[in-house]
Amino acid sequence: MNDLKPSKLKTIDHVNTRLAKRHASEKFFQRMGLLSLFIGIAFVFTLFFSIVSKGYTAFQQTFIQIEVDFDEQFFATEKPYENETLSFADYGGLVKKSLREMFPGVESRQERRLLYGLISTGAAYQLRDMVMHDPTLVGQTKQVWLLASDDVDMLIKGHMEREVPETDRRLRDVQIAWLDQLIAEDSVSLKFNMGFFTNGDSREPEQAGIWGALTGSILTLMITLLLSFPIGVATAVYLEEFAPKNKWTDLIEVNINNLAAVPSIVYGLLGLAVFINFIGFPRSAPLVGGLVLTLMTLPTIIIASRAALKSVPPSIREAALGIGASKMQTVFFHVLPLAFPGMLTGTIIGMAQALGETAPLLMIGMVAFIVDIPSGVFDPATVLPVQIFLWADSPERAFVERTSAAIMVLLGFLIVMNAVAVMLRRKFERRW
Amino acid sequence: MSLVIEKQWNGQNAQIGERESIRAPEQTHTIVSREDRQTVGITAVSNPRIRCFDVNVHYGNKHAIKNVSLDIGRNEIIAMIGPSGCGKSTFLRCLNRMNDTIDHCTVTGKIELDGEDINDKSIDVVPLRARVGMVFQKPNPFPKSIYENVAFGPRIHGLAKDKTELEAIVVTSLQRAGLWNEIKDCLDQSGTSLSGGQQQRLCIARAIAINPEVILMDEPCSALDPIATAVIEDLMNELCSDYSIAIVTHSMQQAARVSHRTAYFHLGDLIEVGKTEQLFTNPIHQLTSDYITGRFG
Repeated sequence: MNDLKPSKLKTIDHVNTRLAKRHASEKFFQRMGLLSLFIGIAFVFTLFFSIVSKGYTAFQQTFIQIEVDFDEQFFATEKPYENETLSFADYGGLVKKSLREMFPGVESRQERRLLYGLISTGAAYQLRDMVMHDPTLVGQTKQVWLLASDDVDMLIKGHMEREVPETDRRLRDVQIAWLDQLIAEDSVSLKFNMGFFTNGDSREPEQAGIWGALTGSILTLMITLLLSFPIGVATAVYLEEFAPKNKWTDLIEVNINNLAAVPSIVYGLLGLAVFINFIGFPRSAPLVGGLVLTLMTLPTIIIASRAALKSVPPSIREAALGIGASKMQTVFFHVLPLAFPGMLTGTIIGMAQALGETAPLLMIGMVAFIVDIPSGVFDPATVLPVQIFLWADSPERAFVERTSAAIMVLLGFLIVMNAVAVMLRRKFERRW
Repeated sequence: MSLVIEKQWNGQNAQIGERESIRAPEQTHTIVSREDRQTVGITAVSNPRIRCFDVNVHYGNKHAIKNVSLDIGRNEIIAMIGPSGCGKSTFLRCLNRMNDTIDHCTVTGKIELDGEDINDKSIDVVPLRARVGMVFQKPNPFPKSIYENVAFGPRIHGLAKDKTELEAIVVTSLQRAGLWNEIKDCLDQSGTSLSGGQQQRLCIARAIAINPEVILMDEPCSALDPIATAVIEDLMNELCSDYSIAIVTHSMQQAARVSHRTAYFHLGDLIEVGKTEQLFTNPIHQLTSDYITGRFG
């Protein structure tokens, strides 16, 4: 080494000695990147696979075909039928009567109860809706597909095994025998589960749906959007374009950044203390939920909007100011249109965050069991993620698939929102 | 405050007067040494549009412009030359208060536009900038249509009563900027889709659409090829019959070609001002001489 004079070495020799190492490290870096990409994709795929494989069965529901005799005597009425009489008839009894007639051999009280257990309690409402919709049914005998109970549903979908001892499963041997008889008669069928999309929550899994929670989510998000977008954008524009740069604005900026990192449940506590206890808004209402989520998303929107405003080239501002535009004209005619796509993206990301938020809503009572579909922002409501939380907590086996299905709906909404964000961005984006 | 400045100004005027008498063109002048940072040459003109007295600019701790006094005459093209960072752009930006937009930038001294102090508290920057237009180094058309680019100024200032009048202003401005024949069929096209030279002429059209009294040009041709540069220089020659033009340029040839007077800046000092011909052929200050002969910069 000593006899090698460094001055004799040319640059290219130095380059060549290190070249292999440089290429190797580049390759290593690329491979690591590829590896992390694969790990990420694998996790996402596992997540989707597990949710979809568990949840896709919830979009179908078992129905049992039963011959129902809409006997005039049963309704204790004659033509013309009065709505009130029809509406208050004992449809539960009608279902039971029809079942007894299908299986005449069932005598004992205990067996009858098992027999009735095949059909959901919701079947009575189904019959009532049919009769109310079409009173001419009274006096006719008709084959009707009635909602099966969740246990039957689980058996048909294969989530309950016949091989396990009778005491370890929820359906008795005799019930399975009846079901097999019905299956042999082609009277058991899986149909599209419309109720999942149109019903509110229920204690009975086969009747539980997401429409109530979805409505609650939509109402809550509307409040959030209406409040957080204008407030967030106005704050960002003021801070970025008009406010003097001094220690006060620095302090505000630091605090906004800190607020973005505050755990969301803290906003729930704040909402509980201020909106419910102090102002006196109703509990569990989408209005309060929206207000709390507004507080939570504001920092996100402000930070994203400020970044979007910062990214507008100063030359555009100078151009406008240089021909005598006022600050306001500069901002509204030139800066805002250019920053708008970025602001929109920030807002939609904030909204997506709000859509998936659970913790702060627990604090303001949106975790309550609410069957009715909310019709306004003051009605008690729950939201999709809270509904998922509630169902995940329920012991019935049939709620497992519904939980996954609700997650699929939530993910679907998130994907749609993000797609809209990308589309709007593309639409408004301009080059300069 | 203004009184004091006035006095100083008068004092300096007297000094200049002395120098003038010493270095009358017919005399063989002595070159002023490199260390001397007093302005040499005639800073005043007989029919000034803008008069600057002892302008100082600080960016935080940095003293960017030191005691610059300079007049810009009516229908005059004045070129400002000097090495990078000498403060010529900063000085130009003082003239329509564009430096207001920069934080930590303080401008002191007096700048008068038609006898009015533009830094006075009662002066609104909006009408000031409508009177003193600016063309920037990098073409910066708005990312809107060509029409909108030119129409924006007249619209915000209410220069046109109706649409036809606005259209007339747009067309005239584009014609005067020498761009009309190239883009008359595609006024809806985005201003940013034009070539660099066209964009700069669009920016000039935008500046003259509001009919300013002074146009400040900050290295308008630095990104352009010789042909586009020639078009813009012709345009300046044409425009100076109506406007006063102050142009900052790195190209000494350009300064020699277009300007009537030239000011040489060096590290924040205004070193020498004079008729362009005189300054380039017969500089008084050693620094000017070094710069124009290419010894540095």
